Amino acid sequence: MSDTTLREPTHRVSPRAVRYWTVNSLIGGVIGWAVLFAIAWFLPEGRWWSTTLVWIFVLIMAVNVLEVVLEPMIRYRRTRWEVTEGKVFVQTGWLSRDQRIAPLSRVQTVDTHRGAIMRLYGLANITVTTASAAGAITIPCLDTHLADRVTAELARITGQTRGDAT
Amino acid sequence: MSLPDLPPPTGEPVAPTLAPPVPGGTDRWQRQSPRMLLVHPVRILGSFALPLVLAVLGISRGTDEDRFWVFAVVAGAVLAVVAGVVSWYVTRYRFTDEQVQLRTGLLSRRVLTAPLDRVRSVDIESSLLHRVLGLAKVKVGTGVDSTRIELDGVSREQAAELRTFLLRRGSAGQGPETPPAGYAVTPAGADPAPDGDRDEPAGAAHPAGAEQPETELARIDWGWLRYAPFSLSSLVVVAGAVGVLAQFGDDLPVDQVEVAQGAWEWVLAQALLVLVAMTLLAVVVGWVVVSTVTYVLTWWNLRVVREARGNLRITRGLLTTHSQTVERAKVRGARMGEPFLLRLVRGAELTALATGVGTGGTTKVLPPAPRAVVTDVGHELLEETGALTMALTGHGPRARRRIHVQHQWGTLFIVALLAVPTYLLDVGWVQWLPSWAPPVALVVLGALNAVVADSAWRNLGHGLTGRHLVVQTGAFVRSREVLELAGIIGWRLDQSFFQRRLGLADLRATTAAGSEVVTAPDIPLTLAVPLARRATPGMLEEFLA
Repeated sequence: MSDTTLREPTHRVSPRAVRYWTVNSLIGGVIGWAVLFAIAWFLPEGRWWSTTLVWIFVLIMAVNVLEVVLEPMIRYRRTRWEVTEGKVFVQTGWLSRDQRIAPLSRVQTVDTHRGAIMRLYGLANITVTTASAAGAITIPCLDTHLADRVTAELARITGQTRGDAT
Repeated sequence: MSLPDLPPPTGEPVAPTLAPPVPGGTDRWQRQSPRMLLVHPVRILGSFALPLVLAVLGISRGTDEDRFWVFAVVAGAVLAVVAGVVSWYVTRYRFTDEQVQLRTGLLSRRVLTAPLDRVRSVDIESSLLHRVLGLAKVKVGTGVDSTRIELDGVSREQAAELRTFLLRRGSAGQGPETPPAGYAVTPAGADPAPDGDRDEPAGAAHPAGAEQPETELARIDWGWLRYAPFSLSSLVVVAGAVGVLAQFGDDLPVDQVEVAQGAWEWVLAQALLVLVAMTLLAVVVGWVVVSTVTYVLTWWNLRVVREARGNLRITRGLLTTHSQTVERAKVRGARMGEPFLLRLVRGAELTALATGVGTGGTTKVLPPAPRAVVTDVGHELLEETGALTMALTGHGPRARRRIHVQHQWGTLFIVALLAVPTYLLDVGWVQWLPSWAPPVALVVLGALNAVVADSAWRNLGHGLTGRHLVVQTGAFVRSREVLELAGIIGWRLDQSFFQRRLGLADLRATTAAGSEVVTAPDIPLTLAVPLARRATPGMLEEFLA
């Protein structure tokens, strides 16, 4: 046991999250490509700067394709969560890393959220808020049934503490 | 708040002090004082003053169109006064056994409530008009919500009684320490502060025996007035004023310098110099005057008092008076701000970080004042010595590298912005850009940013006292935030892609007080985790690698 680093939380999110994230970034990507195509269409031909711009657009699109392919996979490997009897611990981010810990005694609300696309894949987010606006913790993309169980468990534990949790 | 806040158990019923000091007792809806009927129209007339004057001037010219505007303005004023009366008529408040309720709205009715046992702060504010009429506005802050309930038009005596009642009630409501149901489920050793209101080790911080006389922590010293011009906030005011003046500046014949020829050129050049000098002088004098006047208006009669029951009370103001009271347990820390100019003259400002004092979560405690005074008062506020004066641990060479790189991005961007037109474009005025401009910009901006970055790195640091986490940041404005450990309700350890490569992180302690987060940026991971562990024993242990 090292004194200076945190380990990763134990649980991964639902494997279906990979497909959900892919679809999500594809939607964003397609809109972006459409905008770039539209701009490129109206650019005057034969000017050095319009050619440069088009090449920049191509580069952006290539990066975007790479992102759509790679991001969900990396994100799946790096997104972890854990709820212990006293605390909730979540790690998110794919290039960056964001680790959040809150004691359940300080939790104020537990919310479950299912977006339209998330429902197609049977996924749900759980958001745990504390008295600090900067302290909200989201466990993303859990299997719906698991999310229900975790929410119930969180509600049970947090219901046992009193006071205004500030 | 724990036991010391209650009177010793003499067997006397506590009830008498718990009755709300309003005529008619609990459960009856109260109106604002009828004197508020005067306040509304005067306020509205004030805001209509300018259009009215313009309209009257219009009469003297006597065209039909102007008469129409006079009519419109008068009608508007009458309508506004009626609206004021209606608002007075429909606004009511009452105290039930558990809540203070405020009811407003004619058509869509709104009821704001605050649980009495959650009242954490009470502010009493009286504008000049309020004071003439003997009225006050009472703002009630709870630890639950960031919005505060405002009871306007309460008589001054009633306001003072309300404050005593609300804060006493707030502390008393938590009662003697019976462990909450299910307390044992959260392992007691795992979390030093399972409940925001019972987190003080009894008697450790406050001497037992509760009722000590109130102590004065600070009082305005007019010698501090010399720090007024060095505060940054007055700079904003003056900058605004200069902006307005610049509008008139357009009328000056400055742009005709080019047209002038021969002798005129010389004369006008001299005039321009004089003009620039005069403007500078006007700005400096304006700055000094505005900042001094603002300082006097805001901080007149400042008193910072620790009340008998430990609550913090700050009273100040010349025209509009403020009296802010915050429950002791909800004062979670302090921030000492040292803007660049103020640092030159060894001055500083002090702000308290608290829960339930409205949006922002901060209450100004001291104006720009000598640093020694600020640290002394700050330590009294924190009830611990050292946090504001201690030497801090720096964040090391890798943090320095990162801060320098971050600051130079701006340099590169501006130089690139300058280089493209200089070397690539030859249209319009940009072809006159000298070819030495980009390299010079690179050197000058680079050096400037290097100085700023190094100052940011030197100011950066963190520390830990027995009861507080200390973090210092900032380049121009050095800001030292001190947060009570018991007020930390979670941790975030954020690493961007580049921070991960450098082994750095942004360590954030989340809290309900102040801006709700205290961030130690670019702290080496090897320091971050031990710091968080020592600050909140038990919170991180099970997650260590």
